[in-house]
This record gives sequence, structure tokens and C-alpha cells, in this order.
Amino acid sequence: MSTKSLTAIGFPKITLWRTIVALIFAAGLYSMYARFALGFKLATNLTDPQPWGLWVGLGTLCGVGLSAGGFAIAAAVYLLGLERYRPILRTSVLISFLGYCTVCVGMLYELGIPWRIWHPIVMWNRHSVLFEVSWCVMLYTTVLALEFSPSLVEKLPFVRVRELYLRWHHSILIALVLAGTLLSSMHQSFLGGLYLITKGRLDPLWYTPYLTTMFYLSAIPAGLAVTIMAIYLCVRSLNARVDMNILSDVSRVIAPLLAIYGVFRAVDLINRDALSYLWMWREATLLFWLEIALLVVIPLVLLNLKKVRENPMYLYWTCAIIVMGFMTNRLNVSITALQASSAAYYVPKWTEFAASLATITAAAVAFRYAVIYLDILPKNPPRERWMIPSAPAQA
Amino acid sequence: MATTRAILVDITKCIGCRSCEQACKQLHGFPMESETKLSPTALTVVEERGDRFVRRMCMHCQDPACASACLVGALKKTAAGPVTYDGAKCIGCRYCLVACPFSVPRYEWTKLVPYVTKCDMCAARQAKDQPPACVEACPVQASIAGNRDDILEEAQRRILNDSKYVKHIYGSEEAGGTSVFFISDVPFEKLGFAAAPKQPMPVLTATALGDGPTVILVGGALLSGLYWITQRRALVALAEAREKSIAASGSTERN
Repeated sequence: MSTKSLTAIGFPKITLWRTIVALIFAAGLYSMYARFALGFKLATNLTDPQPWGLWVGLGTLCGVGLSAGGFAIAAAVYLLGLERYRPILRTSVLISFLGYCTVCVGMLYELGIPWRIWHPIVMWNRHSVLFEVSWCVMLYTTVLALEFSPSLVEKLPFVRVRELYLRWHHSILIALVLAGTLLSSMHQSFLGGLYLITKGRLDPLWYTPYLTTMFYLSAIPAGLAVTIMAIYLCVRSLNARVDMNILSDVSRVIAPLLAIYGVFRAVDLINRDALSYLWMWREATLLFWLEIALLVVIPLVLLNLKKVRENPMYLYWTCAIIVMGFMTNRLNVSITALQASSAAYYVPKWTEFAASLATITAAAVAFRYAVIYLDILPKNPPRERWMIPSAPAQA
Repeated sequence: MATTRAILVDITKCIGCRSCEQACKQLHGFPMESETKLSPTALTVVEERGDRFVRRMCMHCQDPACASACLVGALKKTAAGPVTYDGAKCIGCRYCLVACPFSVPRYEWTKLVPYVTKCDMCAARQAKDQPPACVEACPVQASIAGNRDDILEEAQRRILNDSKYVKHIYGSEEAGGTSVFFISDVPFEKLGFAAAPKQPMPVLTATALGDGPTVILVGGALLSGLYWITQRRALVALAEAREKSIAASGSTERN
């Protein structure tokens, strides 16, 4: 059967992006099989000295951190009354919601006995940072689902149900946003708090009693950067209509936040007499400088340029650098900065990468369809090429 | 039981016969082959460090990092001394492996339903007033067990009375104190002992956790206050706009 007749009966046209997504999902499926049918030993390169790897470092630490945009924008719009960010509110909440969904799915891979994921609900240990994190993530995912829910409910064909729900939602909205802001703030910082117990083993460039503050301060600008990137892509390829000045405004918030974070890191290093580690010729120090360059120095220089702030594409790539810097930081704390003391040399197995990539890709695909079919962003009237079924897909 | 049990390992006495390893494996029904590193089937091993033999096992901290880290409370410090693990609660997050300052817990990476494994100081035997299997098996009393206070006193006595000993009881300060002690005539860092922090590990996270309620109260109050201001400003702006429009419709010349 030729491709043409397949298209006629509705078989999706094969495009470059669809092929890539299909390949990622195929690899992801094998990883799922490897993890749940063959076990950790064959699916990962984790060992006793390196019990947490890519799934925690990328899946959980980066996943939660990069989803911080939702609570920041929601707090800005509802609590601070910064109405000019309202047009991007739904997008940022959707990104956060999908981000937390990937974290929860990632947890199933990460936990040795995933069907006991509910245990923390009934088995409590108030002395555990992880216990607090798990509760905050559970509650905040619920809050995000509720914050996002009107986008779905308003598409229901039942008028009465719709109105009842939306009225109820309106009455609890401020409480939701307030709870969401507090919950996010708590667990963004507690994710850093997880590593407080590694005193003497985490490299001095990262170990500080203020790990909690560091994680919180870096999560907000990184979360906002992801929001900018996603909206730029929506405008570029999903026909969304957004006033690009809003993105420029967001970037004006990101810059001082990154600067504050940079100052905190510097003051902390001076306070702990850790400056000597900055000039040692070793892998950890190089990774530290890479992280600082990507997360603080380069973005600050770029965001200082009017040309970058006001050009969506330049802004997009600046945000991409921030996100890379953020990921470097989280992977440094969770993996590289612990390796010298544990004498482990951990490189994730390809199945670990594939599982993470497939989960993130699934979220990206879900995001795309949500933007297309729900009222997440205002859209331009459909261009002609959207009317032709065989038009190239926009990923 | 009012007393806390402890083990003392005298490295100068150990002859490396591995009877402790064998007794442990026998008790747990593990394969009897000797292993070089702690593993799910070797809860204690005798490591060769130069011409010394160093037994490794769970240190049974007084205030264990693993127990504070475990989110479901599967790991517990019992009043009798041992730090025990309840596999029925474990969800397999492995934060205990991250948290342990002595890198003791092991994970069953090869299994489809993996659990954490570590020495429990033969808690069940001790409850029946029997010594831990490894201690009972030691032919030269390199390992001895008893009440923690008595054991510490004995360790103190040995290092004071004999000049060959390093003047430190490993475990007396490490991680805020443990229930397994080592004394040696070779500096501990040369024998591969971890330079663990001197304070109880849970203290490190307790301060951060203690901030939680403050964050909720202060943050909650602050955010509510901001929301109130936002609301108030919107109301004032609305009232002003209304007044203006009334004034405008009343007499256009006054504007």
C-alpha cells in the first residue's frame, strides 16, 4: 500500500519530527521493558556508591525545578495583581502540570518497588526531607491539576456541569494559588535539602547549609525560562498569538533573579572559605565553572543587551542556555559532585537516557495537543496550510 | 530492656579467619563464598588493608542518618541498640544509601523486587540474650559484644593501657556516636575508615525541616497580605473610575 492511499484513510503522514518522536517512544518502550521486566541491573548503571542517577538528577531535580514557572506566574497574576502576565498564565500552569506528571511517572521508574508509591501517605516519618518532598509533590500536583482543570472542563458539552464546576473553581482559585505557591516554595528548596545529609561527601563547591535557598533561588528563573521557550515555540509553530513584549517583560524579571542567585553563590563560597576550590585543576571545578557560565554569567550578559531582550528568537536561545545551566547545576549536585568521595564513576546507561527522554517527549506531545485543542493560548485564524491535511506537521 | 547493646572490634586482634563472615552468611542462609565488599549477601566482610584486617558492617549509629532519611520509617533505631530495617514498608527510594555516612546499606540491584540489605546486629538473637552471630563465631575475641557503656569502657581501658593503640575509639564521635566501635594500632584513615562528620547526621536536615512551619506561616501571611493589597487596589481603581465617569456624565465642562 502506497503512502498516498494511507494518507487518504487518515494514516498520519511521515515527517521528520514524527519519525524522531516515534524513535524516542520505541526506545522508551524498550527501556520500560528493561526497567520493569529485567530490573535495575540491566536497565541502569546504578550501583551502591551511586544509588541515585539520571532518573533522580534529571527526572526529579530538573523536572520539578523547570516546572517552577507555573507557581511564579500564578502568584504574579493572582496574588500580586500583575495582570500583564495573564495571557501566559494558562501556558505556564500547563507546563508545570505536565512537568509534575513526568516527575510522577519518573518516580515509578526510579522507585525499586513502585507499586508502594502510596506508602508515604500512611507511613510517616516527619524527620525525613524526602517525606516532606513527597507530600509537597503529591499536594502540588493535585493543585496544578485543579488549576489546569477549567481548560478541560470548559470544553464539556454539558452546560450545567460546566457552569457549576467553573463557579466552584472560581471560589477556591485564590486558595489554590496561595497553597500552590507555598507548597512549591517548600519543596523546591527541600529538594536541595535532600543533599544536606551528604556533608563531607558532596564537593565543597556545592555543599552548603543553604542548599535549600540555592535550589529555590535557581528554580524560579529556570522555570520562567522554560515558559518563555514554550511560548516562543507555540508562536512559531502552533500559530499562537502572543504579545512578544510579555516575554520581554518576563526576561526582565529573570535577569535580577539570576543575579541574586549568583551573588548568593559567591557570598556563600566566601563565607565557607571555599574559594580555593575555584582554582583547582579538577573535573568538579571545571563543571562548576560550566554551570556558573551557563546559568549566571552568559545569560546575564545576554539579557543585558536590548537586542536580545526584544528579539524573541535571541530570547529563546538565551533561555535555552539558562535551562542548560540549571540542568548542569542539578546534575552536578546529584551526580558529579558526589563521585570523588564515593569513588564511583557513573555514566548513565542508554536505557536511562531513553526512559527520561521518552517521558519528556510524551509531555511535549501532550503540551502540543493541549495547545492545539484547548484554549491555552489565543490563536491566529488558521493559515491556509493548516487546512490541507497533507501539510507538514509542525512539532 | 534498659541497656543498649554494642560491639567492639579490636583490629590488633583480628587474624582474618573470616569466621564472622561465615557465621553471618550461615545465619542468613546466604551462599558461603567469601566476598571482598559488602553486598546483599555479605552483611559483614573482612577487608585486607596492608597487613591488617578490617571488618566492615553497619555502625548502628545512635542517631542514624538512614533512619532520619527514610520517608516511610522502614529504618529504625531500636532501644536495644540495633538499627533495623522493615522491608514491608520500603518503597525502594534508596535515600538511605545516599544518606549513610559510612556507605553501608546495599541494594538488591539484580532483583525485580529489590530490598535494602544491611546488618541488623542480630536484633532477633539479641532479644533472646544471645550475642550477635559474628561475635559468637570470633575465635580470638577480636569482636566482643555487650552493654554499650561497658563496651566503651573496655575500649577506653585498652587504648589507655597499651601505647600501641591509636588514641581514638572510632565510633565514639563519628556521626554523633555509634554502637559499633573500632580500636586500632594503625591510623583509621589508613585503614579506609570514612572521616564522618562528628555531629549526629539528622541535625543537618533538621534545621531545614524546622523552617517548614515558619515558611508556611510567614509566607502564607505575606502572600495573603499581598493579595489583600492587590484586591484593595483593584477596588479603589474601580471606585475611582466610577466616580470619574459619574462626574464626567454630570458636567462635562468641569473636566
